[in-house]
Amino acid sequence: MEKSDLSHHILSRYNEDLERVRTNVLQMGGLVEEQLKQAVEALVQGDSRIGDLVAHNDHKVNAMEVAIDDDCSRILATRSPAASDLRLIVAVIKTITDLERIGDEAEKIGYIGSRLATMERPADRYREIKHLGRLVAEMVHGALDAFARLDAEAALGIAKKDRLVDEEFDAIQRQCITFMMEDPRTIRRALDVLWVARALERIGDHAKNICEYVIYMVYGKDVRHVALEDVEKHLQQRSGRAPDAAQGG
Amino acid sequence: MPFGRALSGTAGQALFRLAGTLLLALIAGLIFGHLGGILIAVLSVYLALQVLNLLRLDRWLRLRRTELPPDINGPWGEVVATVNRIYRRKQFHKARVVRLLREFRRLTAAMPDGAVLLGPNNEIIWFNRHAASWLGLRRKLDFGIRIENLVRDPQFIQYLKDQGSRSSVTIHKPAKGDRWLELHLVTTSASEQKLVIVRDVTREIRVESIRRDFVANASHEIRSPLTVIAGYLDALVEEPQLDALWREPILEMRRQADRMRGIINDLLELSRLEASGTAPSDQSVDVGGMLALLRRDLESQEQRPRRIELKLESTAHLRGSESELHSIFSNLVSNAAKYTPVEGEVEIRWWVDAAGGHVAVRDSGIGIAVEHIPRLTERFYRVDPGRSRKIGGSGLGLAIVKHALQRHDGTLAVESVEGRGSVFTCHFPPERVIHI
Repeated sequence: MEKSDLSHHILSRYNEDLERVRTNVLQMGGLVEEQLKQAVEALVQGDSRIGDLVAHNDHKVNAMEVAIDDDCSRILATRSPAASDLRLIVAVIKTITDLERIGDEAEKIGYIGSRLATMERPADRYREIKHLGRLVAEMVHGALDAFARLDAEAALGIAKKDRLVDEEFDAIQRQCITFMMEDPRTIRRALDVLWVARALERIGDHAKNICEYVIYMVYGKDVRHVALEDVEKHLQQRSGRAPDAAQGG
Repeated sequence: MPFGRALSGTAGQALFRLAGTLLLALIAGLIFGHLGGILIAVLSVYLALQVLNLLRLDRWLRLRRTELPPDINGPWGEVVATVNRIYRRKQFHKARVVRLLREFRRLTAAMPDGAVLLGPNNEIIWFNRHAASWLGLRRKLDFGIRIENLVRDPQFIQYLKDQGSRSSVTIHKPAKGDRWLELHLVTTSASEQKLVIVRDVTREIRVESIRRDFVANASHEIRSPLTVIAGYLDALVEEPQLDALWREPILEMRRQADRMRGIINDLLELSRLEASGTAPSDQSVDVGGMLALLRRDLESQEQRPRRIELKLESTAHLRGSESELHSIFSNLVSNAAKYTPVEGEVEIRWWVDAAGGHVAVRDSGIGIAVEHIPRLTERFYRVDPGRSRKIGGSGLGLAIVKHALQRHDGTLAVESVEGRGSVFTCHFPPERVIHI
């Protein structure tokens, strides 16, 4: 009787640990989303104060990454998780690396934003950047939602959006080149804008990576460096079988 | 159960009937001489009737949704009636609960606010339609997921952790229609469940920002022409050839232009304080030094109360923005000086205790009637319009004090007795005090 009570206790603590790690990852994601939103706002509104704030707050994201990493290694060491639990931990460790990179890119955008705030704003008021920023923010949001719901189909849908982001980036690149050729005085600003677009495009890639970890977590199938169409076909084949989803708690 | 009660009514009748039948069978058996055979025949018929009734009951119980109850006499009829009664009552209750539930659902769907019900670990138990569309939740799929996993705004998570230390939190959802949502956590001490009320405040936020922008832009636009006017007036005052008749009007014009400039500067300061919602910069501000400087400024003025006392009971610093703290204290001190006659006194005091840091400005001036105190921090609120205009000031000083204090997590307390003076006290929380 005592023994079963004890094992039950350990199990529930274990579940709690896993659930906490997941919640912490999503909290970190929320912070990163906020950073990204503010970074783009700093650039579009030309508000150097918000830009500085974003650059200043990046340490919070970094601190969360370290804390979650610690938690994960502690769970690996003490609980030796298996199957879906192990996949969850592996996916978490990978996800937080990508989230931290997104945070770094947001910091970069914030920094450039506060520098560009002192310069004259272009006639289109960074409309293209705003659009790209919104697209990327939706991707990050969707990826984290898929992570929270363990929804592989949604994750796949989000991962496909990366192409749109790439196209948008190409468009901004072409536009910047045109600006630079027309008026060499705008080269400095155009280069900065290009850096921002590049950072946003990278964030899109990181969001795509997170989606791939979600698919890995749900189906146990590594879909990195595989064409998305193949992944989709594979998932459709499997959808007859119930996904052995790791529900965590 | 006592035997008498069990035998009451139809059960008793049935027993009598059985006993009567057996008696008749016994008599018939004795008369015809086949006692065993007749008894067996009668009992068989009786048993067959019972089994038939049982089968009818069973059939009806299985098909009770569509069929009427069978018409049976005797104890089997009683059983059918009882079962039927229980079934009817249950149907009635079920229908009522279903109706109530349906009404409740219709009501919550029609509710202008969103509502999310949370369990003890903040897992989502239920939400209505508005909450689903505003927060991006999905019916059924999202039940059981912790809300902070789906609504990840850092401010909201902090608010959830603090369990409603603030009354509500406003978050921005750029996706799906760029909404501003106000979330309000309702907890009851009785149950572990929590309710999050979601309100769409996009309109309010937009109107507010339009108003703020308008004030800021209007002030800016007025300032430039005013600078030109004030510049010419300055030149005119210095002009030696000016007709003596015009000297006084022009001096008055310059005074009024200065006052207008003061009002516009205060308006701009106020709109700046309102616009930047973030916490002010974390400088370490020497309150004692700042108050001493303010006192010296005041002493250098011609029109001032005779005694200005400074009581510095602490050397602690405050964490915050130097310019904003300066504008808080200078507004309070200059107010005190303005409303205190020359023979009165002003006392400035800075002290630190367990509740935090406090700056109090006491004057022996005209005081404020009780009914005016709650409205003092409103923009352009005047206790006595005629007198206030004569003394000057923008009418925005205390509004600025209130906003700047809010940004430092501080509060303003006002005590006053009409005709004897007032005390304005700023309270700062202990986290803001830096002990040196």
